[in-house]
Amino acid sequence: MADIKTKNHVWLHVALISFTVLAIYPVLWVLALSFSGQQSVGLIDLPKDPSFLERFRGILPMPAHWSIKNFTEVWTDQDFGRWMWNSVVVSLMTTALGVFLACTAAYAFSRFRFPGRNTGMLMFLISQMFPGTLMLIPLFIIIVKWLELGNTYVGLVIVYATTAIPFCVWMLKGYFDTIPYDIEESALIDGASRLTIFWRIILPLAKPAIAITALFSFMTAWNEFILASIFMESELNYTAPVGLRFFVGGFSSQWGYFAAGSVIVSLPVVALFLQLQKYLISGLTAGSVK
Amino acid sequence: MNLAEHLKRSAVLGIGISVLLTLVLSTWMFHAEESDLRLQHKQRLALLHTNGLALAVANISVEETGKRVRDIQKLDPRIESAIIVVGMQLVASTRDEDAAPRQLKREEKPLFDLSNLIRTAGETNRGEEVVRKKTIQIDEKPSGHIVVTVPYLSDGQFAGILQMKFNTEAAEMFSPLPDSYSLPLLFLLAALLAGSLLRMNTDRKVDVAKLLALGVFLAIALSYQQQRLNRIEQMMAQANQSIAANYLATAEQYDRLGYLALPRDSSAVNLWDTDHYQRPLGLIAASGNVSAKAQAAYFDKRGGFLKRILASFDLLGLGVLLMFIYGYAARTFSALKEHADAYTYVAPAMIGMLVLVFFPFLYGITLSFTDTTLFNESLPFQDRLIGWDNFKAILGDFNLYERTANGIIWNYQNFYWTLLVTVIWTVSNVTIGVTVGFFLAMALNTEGLRGKAIYRVLLILPWAIPNYITALVWRGMFHPQFGVINQVLQMFGMQPVAWFDGVFSSFMTGLATNGWLSFPFMMVVILGALQSIPKEMYEAAEVEGADRWQRLRYITLPLLKPTLIPAIVLSVVWTFNMFNIIFLVSGGEPGGANEILITKAYKIAFENYQYAYAAAYSTVIFMILLVYGTFQTRVTKATESF
Repeated sequence: MADIKTKNHVWLHVALISFTVLAIYPVLWVLALSFSGQQSVGLIDLPKDPSFLERFRGILPMPAHWSIKNFTEVWTDQDFGRWMWNSVVVSLMTTALGVFLACTAAYAFSRFRFPGRNTGMLMFLISQMFPGTLMLIPLFIIIVKWLELGNTYVGLVIVYATTAIPFCVWMLKGYFDTIPYDIEESALIDGASRLTIFWRIILPLAKPAIAITALFSFMTAWNEFILASIFMESELNYTAPVGLRFFVGGFSSQWGYFAAGSVIVSLPVVALFLQLQKYLISGLTAGSVK
Repeated sequence: MNLAEHLKRSAVLGIGISVLLTLVLSTWMFHAEESDLRLQHKQRLALLHTNGLALAVANISVEETGKRVRDIQKLDPRIESAIIVVGMQLVASTRDEDAAPRQLKREEKPLFDLSNLIRTAGETNRGEEVVRKKTIQIDEKPSGHIVVTVPYLSDGQFAGILQMKFNTEAAEMFSPLPDSYSLPLLFLLAALLAGSLLRMNTDRKVDVAKLLALGVFLAIALSYQQQRLNRIEQMMAQANQSIAANYLATAEQYDRLGYLALPRDSSAVNLWDTDHYQRPLGLIAASGNVSAKAQAAYFDKRGGFLKRILASFDLLGLGVLLMFIYGYAARTFSALKEHADAYTYVAPAMIGMLVLVFFPFLYGITLSFTDTTLFNESLPFQDRLIGWDNFKAILGDFNLYERTANGIIWNYQNFYWTLLVTVIWTVSNVTIGVTVGFFLAMALNTEGLRGKAIYRVLLILPWAIPNYITALVWRGMFHPQFGVINQVLQMFGMQPVAWFDGVFSSFMTGLATNGWLSFPFMMVVILGALQSIPKEMYEAAEVEGADRWQRLRYITLPLLKPTLIPAIVLSVVWTFNMFNIIFLVSGGEPGGANEILITKAYKIAFENYQYAYAAAYSTVIFMILLVYGTFQTRVTKATESF
């Protein structure tokens, strides 16, 4: 052990640094592309017979000319601002609804023993295996044809919130189980109602797990593009993911806009993710191992 | 005896609720069926007159056509107007202001388009030798008018269209039977009366009162349904009589005017009374007689489906009744009351799940037993039902490869090929994720390593970025001409690779992308588990003289297992259904060879529009995952018990 310490882990650092470079290269590449001010997928124009060094320059994630043109144009010339707004509204509404539904259900599963409890939990688990393609057409029929919620935020929100429920409930229930029951018991004896206990004791104690649930619900809505592309017919109602795919899917190749849009879309989730990552391990393991 | 005790012994609640349920459901079904019949009758009547007119003006000169159309319209006040369009010409019209014949005006272009649509529909049907496209169009106007468009023939060939506006308000409908609710109410009262008279013995499993209750339920439900079924049959007969009368009256007028001879031969086919594909219905003979045999067969077909649905309602009601008789309902009720708190908390999520997860799931399963496509969506459900055919077509197709002179050619569209690709895809991805995640976690767990926090944040980054963005980014990096990866290859003097053209290279693009975004999850999970292993265990092992390998083998791995196994199960399910990566990076290229099951199902549904086939495909995917899940939990439980 002692001899490893004196080595300062040089080789370990070399290995870790090279792997980290590999891991973040695509991120740097998108960043470079977004600041390149052009639409091509290549960062610089290579001369006809490029030398080793010229090629090396080509793969360095550095744009030939720095410019914020892609950012300004994607915001002004394209509908991207509108799409971002749609995504923000849908995701926040999904988070609010999803956390509410998951917290109440998880509390019941954790604290009450009632007929149908095990069946309910099992059903939640099995529903995780339902292939999305099986649900697409029925959901389209229910939301768009029957409820006539196509092209609305509400239609997407209720579908996203319910699809996120099972995972959130399992995770939260695992966490609620670790909160000692004694606290509640003494509160009950003191005459507190179930609702007060849930609101005043359980929820504040479960903050880390709720944070993860919120993140998960938010990401479900923020990152989904298939349902959104089916429900939202008019271009103005696209969410950001549908819009981003619109830039580089099919026959269009506006890589610059795509890169700039991706950076804008990713920033909030990456920030949230890194903020909440300290809860990530405890939240995930409490739910899955128990 | 108190009320609760009384209710427990009386059958009134059970019979009342089960009968009410069955009656409401049946009435709703009959109501839908009867309004459907009325609508059908209206359309059939309009079509009958249009077909007749089309026959009377077929294959004659243009002037004569114009005259006959106007004459016939004057004969029947229900015919609001009729026009004939051939190409860009308005050949005949009953409206004087139209001043036919003349060129179509610009705003009448839809008529020209409709004519083309009907012509191509007829050609498609003849070409395919099946009847798939409607050659007759029927539109219902909000004013109550029905507009029917049929092909107009000249020299025995399709020439144009005849469009008739028919006024059904003035048309004497077959007298609709009163749609009253007194009949079901009467039946319900009878049920309540019978129920209140019956006293059940709660101590015995079977007693006379229980049997009687079941008998009363069945008698009431079945006799009510029979009543309504008779009414449906009566309505059908009336509809046929009304059509026959209309037919005879009009055909006789045509006969008198010398436009069209009325066939006296009773075996001749009636060409007036057809379906939307111009196929004679055969319910009414050319002589105007209603064919009793055809009518009975028609009723059997339509009523047969109805009866099956009614039987399912009966079973439902029977189940409810049994629940009441044997006290399950009472117990469920008291459970609901006792655990009201719990159910209130669960209800919002449960209702959401039932409506938006479980119901669509069951709907999808049902869909998989039909042959629904984009084109026959509007057909009634019973016409689309095909049983297990989709599953037979998917699972029974072993046409996996073809032997040719140039070797074996794989059939990439085959289910088993896609399954194989999916399994290889899942296994290789999870292996990569676990291996890379494990080594990185071990590295980051090294004591005294500097910059741990920075490494961790940077290495977690691929997980944080939305995976569809990752997929599109990697698609850009694999770009055959400008992509970074080919640039690197060329930098070292290698040839660029057309990544999406080869089966193997295309598979690698997906693998690289998914590997990149899935290792952080494993890393984080394993790191968490590693950190929870007490250091004392290693120290003790070291004192005992265990080397690094032994410490890994006997301390680290066994203690990782409880965390690792659920994580692996989870990531197997995720990877198996990892739609975004395959769909966005390689798109299953080349030629669908790298499609996984879930992307294949999507393409069947949204590129081929075979909704039902896609649903069956998805059902198979679900079954595979379910079997895997059950098997995995068994194995895990078995290993845990050691």
